[in-house]
Amino acid sequence: MTAYALLFTLAAIGISETVYLIRQRLLAEEPICPIGDSCAMVLASQYSKTFFIPNDVLGLLFYIMASFISAFLVIGIGPIVVWDFIFKLAVAVGALLSLFFTYLQWRIIRAWCFWCLMSAFTIWLMGIIILVSNIV
Amino acid sequence: MEKENSNQSFTTGFHFLRVGLAVTFLWIGILIFKNPEAWGGYLQPWAAGLLPIPLAQAMIGTAILDIIIGIFLLINFLPWLAALLGAVHLIVVLTVSGITDITVRDIGLLVGALALMIDSWPQSIINRINFLKKLTPGIGQSPETK
Repeated sequence: MTAYALLFTLAAIGISETVYLIRQRLLAEEPICPIGDSCAMVLASQYSKTFFIPNDVLGLLFYIMASFISAFLVIGIGPIVVWDFIFKLAVAVGALLSLFFTYLQWRIIRAWCFWCLMSAFTIWLMGIIILVSNIV
Repeated sequence: MEKENSNQSFTTGFHFLRVGLAVTFLWIGILIFKNPEAWGGYLQPWAAGLLPIPLAQAMIGTAILDIIIGIFLLINFLPWLAALLGAVHLIVVLTVSGITDITVRDIGLLVGALALMIDSWPQSIINRINFLKKLTPGIGQSPETK
């Protein structure tokens, strides 16, 4: 239960963050960059989309899915085994993608984006929680 | 750190409180969905007796309200309305559950919701109140200044 609460909390933080980024993009306004000043450079780069879909939208979909699945697992809405598998797979794929995006910022774009790093750490933390608790 | 948002400015602290309260409301909603009867046990007998519908159904309604408030706060959509609903909801919770060991926690949440509501109250409503004050000079003035 505690692990689900943590996973849900992280997913909710991710939703809040990605909604902010999407809103700023739609308003054509630069997001606030609390640490550093390279957010706009990263978010406007050619790597800000994956298969023509903005990464913030993909992130939002991931976090919405994660929050729904963790809620389903807590409430006990089946099929539990399927949700377990989808959750594990999605977090694993998300963690690998985040690793790739972090590499892009480090070596290719050569600029750091606070929000992108925060999202990456959120997903890695979700992976660590799943591994440590071994609940799903 | 402040962010200009149309005609209002929100501090970083506002967003921390907003997301924190959102997660709290969402998670409580989910837990009520998991076991509505158990959560209904917190109601005082007199309050449970006033319900026109079965207790479980009332708790499911509460869970839905909690989740809606949580979603609104999380995506920063009409945060003043969500905070207002949350504050009213918490006042009802405090009233119907009586004084217990966890009352102080609900009071903390209530004050947090009130803080959010006050900070995000729409400027248009504030302007309307100020306009009404100007129309009726007696309102909001001490007897000495009348």
